[in-house]
Amino acid sequence: MASPGSAIRVPLPAELVDEACRELARALRRQPRGTTVVLDGRRLAALDSLGAARLLRSIAEARNAGLVVRLAQLSEPARRALAEVDPEILEEAAPPPRRHPLAAIGARTLDAAEELSATASLARETGAGLTLPFGPGGIKWERTLQQMNIVGASAVPIVVFISLLVGVVLALNGAAQLRQFGATIFIANLVGISMTREMGPLLTAVIVSGRSGSAIAAEIGTMVISEEIDAMRTMALSPIRFLVVPKILALMLMMPLLTVMSNAAGIFGGYLVGIVGLDLGSDAYLSQTVQALLVTDVLTGLVKSVVFGILIGLVGARRGFAVRGGPEAVGLATTSAVVTSIILCIVANAVFTAFFYYAG
Amino acid sequence: MGSAGAARLLEVEGIEAGYGEQTVLDGVSLGVDPGEILVVLGATGSGKSTLLRCIVGLVPPRRGRVRIRGRDVHAADGAEREQILRGVGMAFQEAALLNSMTTVENVALPIAEHWGAEEETALMLARMRLARVGLAGAGRKLPSELSGGMRKRAGIARAIALEPALLLLDEPTSGLDPTTARAIDELILGLRARGDMGIVAVTHELGSINTIADRAVMLAGGRVIAAGSLAEVRRQPDPRVQAFFQRALVAGAERRSLVDELEWVG
Repeated sequence: MASPGSAIRVPLPAELVDEACRELARALRRQPRGTTVVLDGRRLAALDSLGAARLLRSIAEARNAGLVVRLAQLSEPARRALAEVDPEILEEAAPPPRRHPLAAIGARTLDAAEELSATASLARETGAGLTLPFGPGGIKWERTLQQMNIVGASAVPIVVFISLLVGVVLALNGAAQLRQFGATIFIANLVGISMTREMGPLLTAVIVSGRSGSAIAAEIGTMVISEEIDAMRTMALSPIRFLVVPKILALMLMMPLLTVMSNAAGIFGGYLVGIVGLDLGSDAYLSQTVQALLVTDVLTGLVKSVVFGILIGLVGARRGFAVRGGPEAVGLATTSAVVTSIILCIVANAVFTAFFYYAG
Repeated sequence: MGSAGAARLLEVEGIEAGYGEQTVLDGVSLGVDPGEILVVLGATGSGKSTLLRCIVGLVPPRRGRVRIRGRDVHAADGAEREQILRGVGMAFQEAALLNSMTTVENVALPIAEHWGAEEETALMLARMRLARVGLAGAGRKLPSELSGGMRKRAGIARAIALEPALLLLDEPTSGLDPTTARAIDELILGLRARGDMGIVAVTHELGSINTIADRAVMLAGGRVIAAGSLAEVRRQPDPRVQAFFQRALVAGAERRSLVDELEWVG
């Protein structure tokens, strides 16, 4: 209870309608911080729930502005309407305390460190799971085969289709330039080398990330929300061994195969442009392609694709395990898994390319 | 109570636990002996489920210890923790069955993994467990095809798959009609009667509490506010205990009023 003393009296309107509340808010804003404001309710005849909510909102805003608010001369109906209200709701309406910028930076840094540590731990456990191929506690081969079908076989049509079109586009763009020098046959080199070194692995990674990286995050995220992951842990079953290892192993095995198909489809796209659009001979185009391609180019692409597969799997799993909250969080995790894994694959690709360039 | 010198089946010693900056359990201690049903009571948000998650190692305590048959759950790692957890079964409030597997596969999973049983044997044993909880014939259904009561039973069947010494039940009868709830209570009593399984059941259902409790512990605000036999707990004068048993929302003495706090006297 407040004690009598110096206080500003502000009359409450007869009816707490919108306009009257705005007027009240203006009156309260004019008071300096620390002032005790007594809201005089003698004109207030009745107070319905909407009016009570408006009054409480005004009180909360005044308290947030540093005023001490009291109520006086409340009519009996108004008293009844407010007597049921727990004052804690005013504290709930207060803005959260502002964080010092340094504390915010510190918190973000700690979050990032925690994320890094969790990802490293996931990678370590997955690595350990991959080293035990057979026996109890070993790799779940049945699940791995299922996953190979999902991430690999089912992705073949889209990988082939997209890669074919990219091969066609590469050839058409190249033709426009090379024709000026009468060197259209070198389209075979352009398409062959581009596809095997860069485009094949990267295209496959982007497609698999969109198809499987998102699915991994969504599946694990949903299992987190429905406590399935916790249930596995209480049964002393490792979710990483059951869920993550088969998916990452499937990605490691299927990514190179999909990349080979992507390379072949892209080269075939270039071949179609060459023989149909540019009147290059079929034999000439194919022998030019074979001459242009080096085994190391193809192998480099395949090694990259394995690394991309690991990145896609780990990012998807990590985003899934980090899900907290409800279905919306699963959606965000899925988006984040795709975006992060594509960025990481492109960064890894740049690192590989730079490494192979300087390593000769 | 356990014999002198022998470790109790479950000992929780002064655990403090929470999420982020929030403290949910603040110095909770309790113990369970074989063949005993301990009911943990408390209103929603009192920390009951967190206590179970702490016992089973899902939430690490900030302070205190959880020991199962004398072995500290949180100090153990890898194979040792796996061995401790094999002696514990937990049925989650929403059952938490793996949705991608059929009901019988869910129950067979820990059997195949931990007992090394071949698939068909594990499935047969799982069917036996399902029959024990009254779900014979429902094994081929996916969890999404089961009713709420059936899912809870399937969750219990999975929890008892490895014949654990300690069974943890999180709200086993919440959200069920009285008949189904009664059947699950009888199932819990039946499980205890067939061996020396110790059971910790977290619940706020008075019907269940009256039916199954040997002893009870009541939590409020993350602390134990009453412990002992059900009759002893009921006799506690604490207004929160009385409010709980009388099904009052909040003890009148604790209720705050905006008018009382803000009224200007002058």
